[in-house]
Formats: sequence, structure tokens, C-alpha cells
Amino acid sequence: MKSNTDFQQIERFKEDLDRCTKCGFCMASCPVYREERTEGSVARGKIMLVRALLDGEITADEMAEQLDRCTLCLACTENCPAGTRVPSVVAAARADKVRLKGLSFPYRLVYRWLLPRRRMFGYTLRLASWFQGIFLPRTEGTIRHLSFFLSALGKGRHIPQIAPRFLRQTVPEVNKPPAGVAVKYTVGYFTGCMTDFVFPELGEKIVSFLNRNGVAVVVPRGQGCCGAPVFLGAGDFATGRRMADANVKAFKELDYIITDCATCASAMKDYVRFLADTDERKRDYAAYAGRIKDITEFLVDVLKLPPSAYRVAPEYRGKTVTWHEPCHLGRYLGVREQPRQILKSIPDIKYVEMPDAARCCGMAGTFSINFYELSKKIADKKVASIAATGAGIVVTGCPGCELQLIDGTRRHNMPQKVMHIMELFE
Amino acid sequence: MIDSNIIDRLRRIAGNENVLAAREDLLAYSYDATNTWKHAPDVVVLPVNVAQVSEILRLASENRVPVTPRGGGTNVSGGSVPIKGGIVLCTTRLDRIIEINRANLHAVVEPGVVLQDFNTALARQGLFFPPDPQSFAGCTMGGVVAENSGGPSCLKYGVTRQYVLGLEVVLADGTVVKLGGLTPKNRTGYELAMLFTGSEGTLGVISRIILRLLPAPKASRTIVAAFDDVATAGETVSSIIAGSVLPSKVEFVDNWTFEKFRGLLPDETLDSSQVILLIQVDGLPETVEAETQLVEATCQQNTPWIKVAVDSTEAERYWQARRAHFSDISSRAHTIVNEDVSVPRDKIAEFIRLSQESARRHDVPISFAGHVGDGNFHPVVLTDNRDREHYQRALMCVDEIIETALSLGGVLSGEHGIGLEKQRFLKKALDPAAINIMKKIKDVLDPLHILNPGKIWEEDSKIPLNPFRVNPSG
Repeated sequence: MKSNTDFQQIERFKEDLDRCTKCGFCMASCPVYREERTEGSVARGKIMLVRALLDGEITADEMAEQLDRCTLCLACTENCPAGTRVPSVVAAARADKVRLKGLSFPYRLVYRWLLPRRRMFGYTLRLASWFQGIFLPRTEGTIRHLSFFLSALGKGRHIPQIAPRFLRQTVPEVNKPPAGVAVKYTVGYFTGCMTDFVFPELGEKIVSFLNRNGVAVVVPRGQGCCGAPVFLGAGDFATGRRMADANVKAFKELDYIITDCATCASAMKDYVRFLADTDERKRDYAAYAGRIKDITEFLVDVLKLPPSAYRVAPEYRGKTVTWHEPCHLGRYLGVREQPRQILKSIPDIKYVEMPDAARCCGMAGTFSINFYELSKKIADKKVASIAATGAGIVVTGCPGCELQLIDGTRRHNMPQKVMHIMELFE
Repeated sequence: MIDSNIIDRLRRIAGNENVLAAREDLLAYSYDATNTWKHAPDVVVLPVNVAQVSEILRLASENRVPVTPRGGGTNVSGGSVPIKGGIVLCTTRLDRIIEINRANLHAVVEPGVVLQDFNTALARQGLFFPPDPQSFAGCTMGGVVAENSGGPSCLKYGVTRQYVLGLEVVLADGTVVKLGGLTPKNRTGYELAMLFTGSEGTLGVISRIILRLLPAPKASRTIVAAFDDVATAGETVSSIIAGSVLPSKVEFVDNWTFEKFRGLLPDETLDSSQVILLIQVDGLPETVEAETQLVEATCQQNTPWIKVAVDSTEAERYWQARRAHFSDISSRAHTIVNEDVSVPRDKIAEFIRLSQESARRHDVPISFAGHVGDGNFHPVVLTDNRDREHYQRALMCVDEIIETALSLGGVLSGEHGIGLEKQRFLKKALDPAAINIMKKIKDVLDPLHILNPGKIWEEDSKIPLNPFRVNPSG
């Protein structure tokens, strides 16, 4: 048995590790196992590998790839009679591996993938230099991994362009409702990297939608990346902690933190689970988590908007719409009914539920970079579900899923428009 | 360790992507759903067609390499653990549903189809395959047949062998044999397909399965009843059946796992009762309503606490709580010894009473859950294999429980199979002449004994008795 200090993070989730009885209930729902059909790829197998790691039967290096081969979708936990939270064990094991062996991401990408592609590399550097040099001065200590991430995604993938003007350039820090509309709430808007750099028009829509409905929106300039690719994807808890602290500080004075990205929201709620190493952080992260609301959750549960408030943009009226439920929204945040309630209540569109709406799309950030072929196979099942609905528009609640669904539908030459649920509205 | 040359040849047969030989991959094939047995193979091969299965077995025969066939590996007998190393032949990539024939009520599947996926596909056409081992979310059809799986629904619908019409099997020397056929009636020669049904991978590798199907029942209801003592619960079940109602499931849980029912049943009921029965009736809506009333009336004679689930959502909550029994009981002790005896229904109360006496005598905790409708019980003894003395007492208690079941006219294993787990009891449970016949059959079909060696009747002094763990060879 290795000394426990080698596996500090795994030890924190020992209860989950011990809980698994290897019954195999995770097999039918694990998206990775459904494609690969190997024992090492399923949740139960990962638990057994981590146990073998603690028993010294296997090294962290030997199990690294199988650890990375997990979308953290939480479907295993949902189906586990023992309630084993396998993704926590996987994330913790990734973190311990990074602590023991150093960080491999994003450097591995740079060396193996980016460097041999000069044009892409130059483009990435330009982008990276923009972020760090101009908009995010180093002195602020804000960290962005998006540039690497998006470039890596470009591997033959259909991805939207980096926006010419980022959201933080087009939207002021404080956005008040128009004259004559009373202010009911003042909220902070956590824009997330994707909305900020790739889909700024979504952010603009959300701000004006909220303003119109009596919500003042603050877009704090000190906010950064949520940290999901860093601490959950790559297991770099130390950097993750710095990112978490920056976000907690940026939103200190605000009652609600609204997100349009389910991954950002759940990653930030998970600060306390993974990154809280002191009592102070535990307290701050827990308080921060309590104020985070997905946009649909805020509109339905807090603002309680009537159906008439959702005015569908003219080009989408009369269309058939289906909903892809992001893992981070449904299983992680428990936001399942709110977006459906909105979609069902709008008279201007026809809503159709897709088969297996909550099944993982296979994006999972870093996962889709490391295993693009596998990620595509998982997406193909989702694409088939979309096709089965006959809908012309697929809406979702996570820009990460959006990227994956855009890629999946384009690869199959399908006509569906993929967008965030809030883009439906005027 | 096997020759690396064998691994190279396997790669040529099945393709690189279907052969696993890295340490971490081998470790992932070293276990099943028991916590007693562990041994890594030397190589794992996942064939994608029957020709590959045949070539793999021919190669193994020529080189006398052990082959352990497996699917999902969710069995609880040690049966899919490659105790002698060698090759694990995993059928999970042979996962096509080839045909679902609604008119003839049959289906043709490959062995790697997951049972739950199969039933989802059948449900779309209003059909079902009744055997429902509680590993349905991970177990594969090859394993369902090779283990002759049961489950709660077997009270009314019978076990897997009642649904096997035909098989394609690859023998140890690579010969591909077709057995049985498409029709429910078939009296052509010996029932060889039955020989492989329940053979636990020791006689051949099942590569294709023809199954009989049933039209799915149009309706079902779940009735929950709590009882003060085991005997009354047992009598109630007998009365229900005597009243001409054959429920599709009658499941029993004792108060060890009542926690899973908190929030579903009133606290005072859970605090005062000893046993919960979960009863499901199914069929046409009219039948279901009538049967529900009869079951309710029968239960009312013996217990004040009965509840009929209002809808399938509520019913599913109770069944989830039942399914959580194994994980719940597992969390209560470091080691559990889970048995699988089956006794005639009228002996259930006596069996439980005698087993509880054994547990008291050996001073070990015991819990019962099971398919009480058909007498198939899973007594679980809670122990800790790190505490040698306690573990020995637990094993002695288990020995007595099995003796008790056999003396009441029961059998050693109702549905889990023998594998490694129950090997040591086999001589007590089987006529010596029957074991002899099994050995002769094995010699005919697998003369070199390469298929799933060390399992069922095969005794081997190299396999330690009651091991907790055998180190992986890798």
C-alpha cells in the first residue's frame, strides 16, 4: 500500500471508492462503455483501477488514459444502487496524478498537436497573446485556457469562429433595465469563456432579456474561466483554486450569479467539493455555490415569468423545437423541468421531447480533445435522437454541448439549427 | 504467463483494437461482482464475429491456453474470473440484435447484447423477455444463457432455459455448431441447446442465441405489505397462490435494509415490522385490478399495513429500494457472504428460522432477501475477512445454512450458478454419478479442458479453499 499522502484527493472520496459493489448497474448508462465495451472504460472498472492504484498494483501513469476516458456525465451515479459518485473519484485521481507526475495538459497538446501545425499554432499564439496581453493583463492573474482548447477542437471539427468582438467589449459592466421598468433584482452574470469569446450575441440577448423583465445585470470584469477544464479535466487543483478565488471575489456583492452554461455553473458549485482546502475557502465556496442559478432556473423559479414574457424571435416562430439536456444541467444541477416548462408554455413554437434527452453528448471538454473519435461516436447517438424528433431547432443549456451538437449535425449533413435556449427569444 | 507469440497471433485474428494486454486492462478483467475472487488474465480478446471466436479457440486448443469466456462480468459466482490466467474471451463486442420477429415471437441476438437494451428494443414492439436477473443493466445475453439466469419474474414466467429455442456454439476446438431452431416445439434428437444453457462457459462459447418471446403484459400493479414476522409473510404468499393468483413477482426484504424504504413507507411501520413483501401482478388491466384486490384481501388477513402503488412511478420507487438491497447490505460490513439457495415454498419459514438459529449459534449477523415466491433466497452473512476468527464463524454458519436448505429438499444455487463460489458444496449437493456424467460430457466437448478451467465441478488443489484474494498474475 502506498502512503496515503500520495493520494490525498482520492482519500477524500474514499467513501465513494468503497461504496461500489461492482454490480455493473453503470454499464447500461455509461456513454463511454456503450461505445468501447471494455471493462476499463466503464465506471465500475475505473473504481477498480483506482483501488488497484491505492493497493500499489498499478501506477498512476498506467491508469492515466482510462481515467481521462470519462465524460464525468454522472449517469453511473444516477443508476447506482449504492449511490457511488464515480466522477468525484475520477476527478480526484486525476488531481493526484497531476500532483505526482506534473501537468500534462495543455502542454501535451502544444507539443504533440499544436506545434506540428504551424498555421494553427500561430493563430493560437495570437489569440493567447490577445487574451493575456490586452484584455486580461497578467497582473490581474486571470487565466484562460480557452485558446488552447478551441484550437485543439479544430481537429477536423466544425466549430464556430472566435467572435470578432468579445462580449466584454460590447456589454458594459452595469446594465440597468430601460426607463419605466422597475428593478426587481440585481444579478451578476457569469458569462463563461464560450459566451464571452464565441457566442457574444447570446450574452447580449440574455442581458437585454433580463433588463426587459426588470433585472439589472452586472457583468463583473474580474471574472475569469470557471476552471472546469483545469481542475476537473486536467486535475490541476492548485490553478483551479486561484481561478475559483478570483470568481468568488468578482461576484462578492451580488445576490444571484446567473449563468448560461451548465458546465460553468456546476463546476463553480463544485469548488467546495474539490477545491476547498481551508475553512475560509469552504465557507466562501459554499456561499458562492448557493447563489449560482442557471438562467432558466432563475427565470422560472425566481422571476416566475409568465409565458407571455417569452417572445419568440420572428424567424423561429412556428418551428418545431427539441431540447438536449446537458449532463451538468440535469444530473449535476437538477435543473430538468425549468427549460422544458418554458418551451412547453410558448404558443409560438411546437415542443417535442427527444428520446434519451439526458444522455451525454460526448463533448466533456478535454475529453473530446483527447478522444475525438470516441467523442464523435457518442455524439452520433445523440444526433440520431435529434433526427428522430423531426425538429428543425435543437436548443440546449450549455455552449459546450452546443459545439458538439453543431459538429454532430454538420457531420451528418443535417439541417437542424443548434442554439442556446435563450437565443430563441427576441 | 502465456507466450507473447500467442498475443501476436490473437492480434492478427481479431485486430489490434480488439486485443488488450496492458496491465491496467488486464486488471479490469480480473474480477466479477463477487468480492472474494480476483485473478488477472494474460490477455483479453474481444472478437467481433463468430469466425474470430472460432480461430481464437483453435489457437487456444493448439497451445493449450486456458480460455475464460465472459460478457458483462456481472455474475456473482466467480464464474467469469480467469482463475488460471490465459485468455479472457469477452463477447461484449458481439452486440447485434439480429432479428425481432413479432409474428413468430422469437428473437435472434448475439451474446454481447445487454439485457436491458434487448428489453428496450422488445418493448418498442410490445414484446418482452421475462428473465430479469438484477444485473440486467450490465449483464449480456450470452451470460444470461450460460448462467441460465433467473430473477424476480421467474415465479410466473420461469427461468432462461424456458426461453432458449436455439443456440450457435463454438466448441473448444473451434468447431461452430448450430443447435435447436426457431420453433417453440422441436423434438429432434437430444436437447443439446439445454446442455449449454447453464454451462457457465465450461462447454463452449455461445455465439448466437434464438429466444422465445412473450407479448408484454398491458398492465401491472405493485402491492407493498409489511409483516411482524417471517412465518406470517411466508404463509401470506402461500395463501395468495392458493387463491389462484400467480403474481409475476413476490420479493422479500428483511429489516436490515428497511432504510432504503424510509420516506416511502411510514416510519412506524418500518420501526415495528420484520419483513416487507413486494408483490407485482401483471396482465390485462381487468385481470390486474381483480388480482390486486385478491392480493390485498389476502394480505389484510395477516397484516394491517398494505399499500397499493398508485402508478408506475410510485411502484418503481419500491422496486428501486428492493434492488438497492445488495449494495446496502454490502455497505454494512467489510465482507459479505451472499448465498443463493432455493427451497420449496412451503419450507421457507422453516428455512429462515433454522438459518437464524445457525447465525445466533455462530454469533454472526445475517440478513435475508429474495424471490420468496419461488423459494429462491439470498441469505447474506455479514463478516470481515480480515478478522480470521469471525470469518471462520461466518463460513461455518454458511455451511450450516446450505445443509439446512439441502435437508429441506432445496438446492445449492437457485440462479447464481456454481462458478468458484459454491464449488466446495458441490459434492454435498449432487449425486456422485451426476458429477461423473458431467465430467464425461466435459471430456467429449472440451477434451483438453481449456474452457473456463477450475469452475463448477473441477476441483484443483492449487485453488485455495475460501480464498479472499488471489493476486493478479500480471
